[in-house]
Amino acid sequence: MLSKTDVFPRRSLRLHSTVAALTFVSAFASTAMAEGFNPTAVINIGSLYEPQNLDNTAGAGQGINEAFNGNVYEGLFVLTDSGDVEPKLIDGYDISEDRLTYTFTLKEGVSFHSGDPLTAADVKSSIERVTAENSASSRKRTLAVIESVETPDDKTVVIRLNTPSISLPYNLSYVWIVNDDAGDISARADGTGPYTLQEWRRGSALAMVPFEGYWGDAPSNGGVMFQYFTDATAQNNALLTGAVDIITSVQSPDALSLFADNPDFTVSEGASTTKELLAYNDRIAPFDSVKVRSALARAVDNKKLLSAIWGDYGTLIGSFVPPTDPWFVDLTDVNAYDPDSAKEMLAEAGYPDGFSFTLDTPDYDPHPVVAQFLQNELAKVGVEVKINIITANEWYTKVYKAQDFEATLQEHVNHRDIVFYGNPNFYWGYDNPEVVKLIADSEGVSSIDAQTEMLTKANKIIAEDAASMWLYLYPQIVVSTSNVSDYPLNGLNAQFFVSNIKKAD
Amino acid sequence: MSTASTAFPRRSKRINITFWLGLVLVGGISLAGILSLFWTPYALSDMAGGRLEAPNASHWAGTDRLGRDMFTQLMIGARIALIVGCGAVGIGAAIGVTTGLLAAFATRFLDDALAAFMDILIAFPTLLVAMLVVAAREESSLGTAILALGIGVSPIIARITRILTKQVLGQDYIIAARVSGTSWGAIVFWHILPNIVPFLAVNLALQFGLAVMAEASLSYLGLGAPPPNASWGHMLHEAQGTVYTAPWGAILPGLALFALVIGINLLADGLRDRFDPSRRDM
Repeated sequence: MLSKTDVFPRRSLRLHSTVAALTFVSAFASTAMAEGFNPTAVINIGSLYEPQNLDNTAGAGQGINEAFNGNVYEGLFVLTDSGDVEPKLIDGYDISEDRLTYTFTLKEGVSFHSGDPLTAADVKSSIERVTAENSASSRKRTLAVIESVETPDDKTVVIRLNTPSISLPYNLSYVWIVNDDAGDISARADGTGPYTLQEWRRGSALAMVPFEGYWGDAPSNGGVMFQYFTDATAQNNALLTGAVDIITSVQSPDALSLFADNPDFTVSEGASTTKELLAYNDRIAPFDSVKVRSALARAVDNKKLLSAIWGDYGTLIGSFVPPTDPWFVDLTDVNAYDPDSAKEMLAEAGYPDGFSFTLDTPDYDPHPVVAQFLQNELAKVGVEVKINIITANEWYTKVYKAQDFEATLQEHVNHRDIVFYGNPNFYWGYDNPEVVKLIADSEGVSSIDAQTEMLTKANKIIAEDAASMWLYLYPQIVVSTSNVSDYPLNGLNAQFFVSNIKKAD
Repeated sequence: MSTASTAFPRRSKRINITFWLGLVLVGGISLAGILSLFWTPYALSDMAGGRLEAPNASHWAGTDRLGRDMFTQLMIGARIALIVGCGAVGIGAAIGVTTGLLAAFATRFLDDALAAFMDILIAFPTLLVAMLVVAAREESSLGTAILALGIGVSPIIARITRILTKQVLGQDYIIAARVSGTSWGAIVFWHILPNIVPFLAVNLALQFGLAVMAEASLSYLGLGAPPPNASWGHMLHEAQGTVYTAPWGAILPGLALFALVIGINLLADGLRDRFDPSRRDM
């Protein structure tokens, strides 16, 4: 997978209307069980993503976001499960006329788990933890626009920028506010969230209990235990036997048959941001030709592929942008399935007899089976696909780092990652100056609408250029026992807010 | 085994059953594999079927996730299993018999060195040796898998060849041949090989079964021939995620693998009873 640490997203302040219209599930699952819940029950959550350590600026992996974001640590802003960016530890903020100075007023009565009150100095040191020289945070690059952080008094923070950045609040939602006295937090925690870390048993589980002194609403459960699995089957079995109450994402529709028609379990589908795609190396022939890329897109029946992999789940989007991004438009009609015209276009592009290429295929599901599907589909228009199976590590070094490939398969998990197409040095090497400019300029605009308009335009150009072959959007499926309710469904950027989860006896 | 007086009639009956049962299993699978060169119910690339269809009149063994016919894949899998088995045993025999003969004729020191080397190789499971070879080649293909398995099974063949050759070398007729001026090459060709081949054949058949199993394991681990080669191990790999919804996808290639390996073992058993003088009924 392209890990969540590679994200370079830009986030708007409020939920765009298209998101509201297209998000077909509410932010939280609610069932009839919500009434008679047990406020002291401990929720056991099954996950495949154990953090490497407990510090999100030290290469801890996506698992730390899942466990700690919004649960143990909070930011000045929060990215809610429905995709809103809302103020969290601040009462309000002002933006200067030139959009280069942000002044934040901190909330009163917030204290850390250690008992220290929240002050502006904590915020300053927290931001500096992320932007520091030795920080491994993925936020570092997006926060490079910050010129200085000032603390005129205990409750006021002033952030000065080099250039306007409309995504600053979104980017700040990733910055944990950590007590400036905490020191090394790679094996312990001191945040302001509703839970304190109770115990981390490396290799198996991470336990959290409610924080008595929490400034907001107390959690509706008596604690949470993340249990880590290395294998999806073991995780499914743990849910079947009652060892865990929830699993945060199901990886195949066939595992669902265990739970789907069973009254003991609830299967919920959230909004997904994970896209399966065939990325060409757009720098090299024949993939430097828009005509060739468009022809290949038309040769593949995505609908059949999606139903082969996911049965009745998942969505076709026709581009890299999922419905939860404000700049989503349905582009499935651009280069829709049409093998006859694919052949003609290949002939026009100078390949009447087709050509042959190597497809670097990660060795884990669904990539090998997707590769075989593409091999069969493209053979029908005379294009020969040689499947080269590689490990995730090889993918990272050969394809991502060395960019030594013709075409590859990959799933991209982040939302708002259209910006990858604005970086000509990205592994797939897509370079359209108009798109590069649109994406760069969209950060400097003054309104969300202007940003959305520019990125929508970029999205359309990228789709018409057939920059990559976007195959389908994964479904996001959460399964729980039926006595558990009110858990987040969308899991945007791997977050999993646990404070509202209720468990009936 | 019962006493000699009652063994004769029962034994011969047992030989027939195991031998013929083995022949039927191996022969049937071989026929399917050979037939797949000329005809399969569907093309391997034909994805016209539904997702995970259960076995039915048009798809005798059901379909996989992409709607490809599983019976077609089983037939092609039979061919691949046979190619792997024959290829690996061929390579294994070429290396093993040569080394074994060399060791048997060599000086005490070289013999000991070779024996120690073979013992070390035998200590590594065949699959592990094969995985090392695949890793060293840095690409997975059917040829690499065959080469890897051939190397993997060769030490056992070498050891058996050495022991058998040493036994024959001690016989009076070898000394007689030597005294009458026959060259060592002629002795190997005329006296040793004809005497050890029957026993070696039994062992090669067992190694065949081992190689087929090991190839399935390699493919299951993704180190075998790359897709779309429908090796049985690869089919098992593909089926593991859908084993609850489409169990036949795992059961059928598993059964095919079982049938070929048990068949070849029964065949080897029958052959051994026929050739082994210690078991030959006088």
